[in-house]
Amino acid sequence: MNQGPAVSDLATIVAEATPAGRGGVGIIRLSGSGVCNIGKTLVGHLPAKRQVETRVFRAADNSVIDQGLVIYFQGPASFTGEDVLELHGHGGPVVMAMLMQRCIELGARQARPGEFTERAFLNNKIDLTQAEAVADLIDSASQAAVRNAVKSLQGAFSERINGLVVKVTHLRTFVEASIDFPEEEEDFLADQNLIDQLEQMMAEVISILSNAKQGVILQEGLQLVLVGEANSGKSSMMNLLSGQETSIVTEIPGTTRDVIKENIVLDGIPVRVLDTAGIRDSIDPIEREGIRRTVKSIEQADAVLWLIDWPAEIGQGQVLSQDALRAFMHARLIDLRRVLFKGADLEKPLVVILNKVDLLDSTHLLGDAPEPDTVYFSTKTGQGLSEMMAVLKEKLGLDIHPEGLFSARRRHLLALKVASEHLQLAFQRLTEESAGELMAEELKCAQDALGEITGKVRSDELLGKIFSGFCIGK
Amino acid sequence: MTRFDVIVVGGGHAGTEAALAAARMNAKTLLITQNIETLGQMSCNPAIGGIGKSHLVKEIDALGGVMAQAADAAGIHFRVLNGRKGPAVRATRAQTDRQLYKAFIRQKLEHQENLSLFQQSVADLIIENNRVVGVITQMDQQFRADAVILTVGTFLGGIIHVGLNQHSGGRAGDSASNKLSERLRELPFEVGRLKTGTPPRIDGRTVDFSVLEEQPGDTPRPVMSFWSDASVHPEQRPCYITHTNEATHDVIRAGLQRSPLYSGVIDGIGPRYCPSIEDKVVRFADKNAHQIFVEPEGLNTTELYPNGISTSLPYDVQIDLIHSIKGFENAHISRPGYAIEYDFFEPRGLKSTLETKPIENLFFAGQINGTTGYEEAAAQGLLAGINAALLSQSKEPWSPGRDQAYIGVLVDDLITLGTLEPYRMFTSRAEYRLILRQDNADRRLTETGRNLGLVDDDKWHSYLKKLQEIDELNSELAKTVVFPGNSAIDALLEEPLGREYHLAELLKRPGVDIQSLLMANGNTEYDVVAAEQVEIDIKYRGYIARQQQDIERIRAQHALNIPVDLDYLLIHGLSNEVKQKLQQVRPENLGQASRISGVTPAALSLLLVHLKRRSEFQQTAATG
Repeated sequence: MNQGPAVSDLATIVAEATPAGRGGVGIIRLSGSGVCNIGKTLVGHLPAKRQVETRVFRAADNSVIDQGLVIYFQGPASFTGEDVLELHGHGGPVVMAMLMQRCIELGARQARPGEFTERAFLNNKIDLTQAEAVADLIDSASQAAVRNAVKSLQGAFSERINGLVVKVTHLRTFVEASIDFPEEEEDFLADQNLIDQLEQMMAEVISILSNAKQGVILQEGLQLVLVGEANSGKSSMMNLLSGQETSIVTEIPGTTRDVIKENIVLDGIPVRVLDTAGIRDSIDPIEREGIRRTVKSIEQADAVLWLIDWPAEIGQGQVLSQDALRAFMHARLIDLRRVLFKGADLEKPLVVILNKVDLLDSTHLLGDAPEPDTVYFSTKTGQGLSEMMAVLKEKLGLDIHPEGLFSARRRHLLALKVASEHLQLAFQRLTEESAGELMAEELKCAQDALGEITGKVRSDELLGKIFSGFCIGK
Repeated sequence: MTRFDVIVVGGGHAGTEAALAAARMNAKTLLITQNIETLGQMSCNPAIGGIGKSHLVKEIDALGGVMAQAADAAGIHFRVLNGRKGPAVRATRAQTDRQLYKAFIRQKLEHQENLSLFQQSVADLIIENNRVVGVITQMDQQFRADAVILTVGTFLGGIIHVGLNQHSGGRAGDSASNKLSERLRELPFEVGRLKTGTPPRIDGRTVDFSVLEEQPGDTPRPVMSFWSDASVHPEQRPCYITHTNEATHDVIRAGLQRSPLYSGVIDGIGPRYCPSIEDKVVRFADKNAHQIFVEPEGLNTTELYPNGISTSLPYDVQIDLIHSIKGFENAHISRPGYAIEYDFFEPRGLKSTLETKPIENLFFAGQINGTTGYEEAAAQGLLAGINAALLSQSKEPWSPGRDQAYIGVLVDDLITLGTLEPYRMFTSRAEYRLILRQDNADRRLTETGRNLGLVDDDKWHSYLKKLQEIDELNSELAKTVVFPGNSAIDALLEEPLGREYHLAELLKRPGVDIQSLLMANGNTEYDVVAAEQVEIDIKYRGYIARQQQDIERIRAQHALNIPVDLDYLLIHGLSNEVKQKLQQVRPENLGQASRISGVTPAALSLLLVHLKRRSEFQQTAATG
């Protein structure tokens, strides 16, 4: 009799089933009761169940997003036990993003990490003995998602979103106070130029969104920054990376004289590489300016590649023990932090590139690198490139779950778009019928959307702000 | 020894609604109170309703409760608040004559079938195997019942403060229930202390009204109950407004050292939205005046209630304070203001029926749960009364969700989040504010009330008639087509019709109201109340649909019940913080769990997986 929780009536979920940017095929998977309706709108009529057919995936304006294979699994004979639809497209990150976006427009919700497996388990598609494994998956996937969300939120983006949340909350404090305390003599909205405030907020969201699209703050890809001393091989690294087969997509002229940017694709992942001026501890104002710009680039980046001219450091013919190497690396890292951050932590994933190993003669048995995130490298021969990418992907969590940095960012973009729509509706309500309950409702929706990024603001917190800010009560 | 189905301890707003609801549901009910003369007493200000509060009152009314009708019978001044904002945040408030209010409640209680009243102080509960089975009075009488509801207000361990003087008391003039308080402290409840206060009352014969601003009631006069009209209202009276000034604030500042609040005598936490005047002066030092609403206490008394200056300053300071206020220069204080500290029990120890988790069949309602306000108390009393009766009849419990009623918001907030200060309702607490309106409380709840046995035939038929009128108007608007050249419609729209329209389409336009539209269409016979409902439905349609979608989305979570005996510490993967919080709240279903702070979607997933595995194990055990 007891079937456990029935979950078949839960929301339709969608996620990329293949890790971001990997290879030539990208699979998007949907599960839930809304699959048939979403599928029909997206690809026309669905193939018979478990039959593979080619379809065109269409946007809302009927334009073609991609073309690919469609497979429909009718529940309960599917992975999750619900209706499942798989769309096999061409896998580029932009196309995948558009497809995801379209599915969400049509009513699907972006799946939480591990949610497909969770549903499979809840619908008896996975053996009970695997319950712990399922729990572990949910746990680790959600932790990875949190880490990625935090990564996506670093630096300027986070500051701007938080700034926006503060503004929306501030405005809501006044609007809600005027609704819940209409008899106070204080006219809560009198000194609040609502139109100005709303216009500023709308402009801010649009600016954040457009910056995000230009990739300055929130690009759909990785930003790597190369740092190192003048002769450590940064430029060669840049050339090596951009000389890859699938290399240069576009070249954006550097806006600053000494930070050069390249947009490339590595292993299917769009990457922007920033080259920086050589680091030298100096009091020369020009060099100090170079350091300042390097620090700024690091703040914007997802990961730092630190290049070291290895033969110059250890000297030809000298063989160091692993312990000595480790001690040496630590000392150098402290140096780097002192020069760049006045000793503070880097707070970014760091990969140390021990470059120019091609210059070392064969008597140097390299063996394992002295530290886990250190790679022996040659910008001349390309030795170490695949190891470097492996370390990078691991550090950025790209290989572990499809819910990587990209989907964390997409989630944030989506939330911003929703917030933007509600702010515009709030503005419309305000101008049509002044600051009433409908404007308040739109503001609440906007704040809830931003809350997807920064965490919800609860109603009792809002009331707390009202009570601490205004003298209320008779 | 007499046996009852339900015993209610306390005769305030929670107790009377509880007793009436249980008795209406055919439960043999006993209401025990310290003093029959104070049944239905308004201990604080003489008003019912207000923002968020009239929403509760109308829900109580829709469920057959008595508060709204009492307010209509006793209301001497009615206003609509937020009249210019939209219907969802509109509220009604009545100033009431205390004597008329009490008399109305008393009369309802005395004429209620299945209900007995008894004057005696309750000293103890009879508890057998963690289940309450009755009460023992101070005279050692025992009364047995299937369920007991405690609605003891501020009487548990009540201490009254006026300056640095303090004495035990449940309310000015009434003694506290210290024996019961001591007994309850021995039971496994988490006890806290709260504080509230009242202003000094003054004699209207000594007030100079000529210098006060008069505030008349609204015309047309609003009505509180769905089943009343303004003809039941007694004679109407105005309110007045005056202000404190810098001289008042100087008096207060000079008296602070003898204030129990500022000398550390009071530990209890007071409400931030209803601060004492000394609090306002200290916390908002830059404000040089605070508003005072001067409210009449009744038709046959000269006493006034100066709302906005509740205080526990010493009596001599209160005299100077009052005399410093414009219009009060020669005013006589008839009753000093005071603060009262009292026990409450951590409401996270309650189920959504208001039954306590540690002791079965025992219900708590009102200030004992950390709330403030007559309306909040009455709403809880009604809910506890309903569930006590259902329990005694071995029927399924009932409690409304956050999407159905402010009563649901109130109870869910209390049992999920607990409270640190006296909890008062505000519309901003309700996420489905556009659906939970005071105007549609009957459409949300009356059918349920009827099924529970709370709504009598007269009310039910009048409700059905209203529904029918709404249907007819809806179909008139949906079916009637107006054509270009219709001069009445053109005049209403202030522009000629470009094509043919259904009336319902025209009503969606901003600035077009239903009454003018119906008139322009030649309908002068419409029912105003029904027309208002149709208009709000159409104007809010998009928003209501959106909120309904949200509600649907989380409905599945609310259908997933969590066993009360679940050991959260055993759930794999949850952080210790989340485990502790879940263990403390013991949510009834997945929806409630999701509202506990710190419980993430991933934590819910882990909980779901655990429940699934648990149910499978139980199934295996049962079949194997």
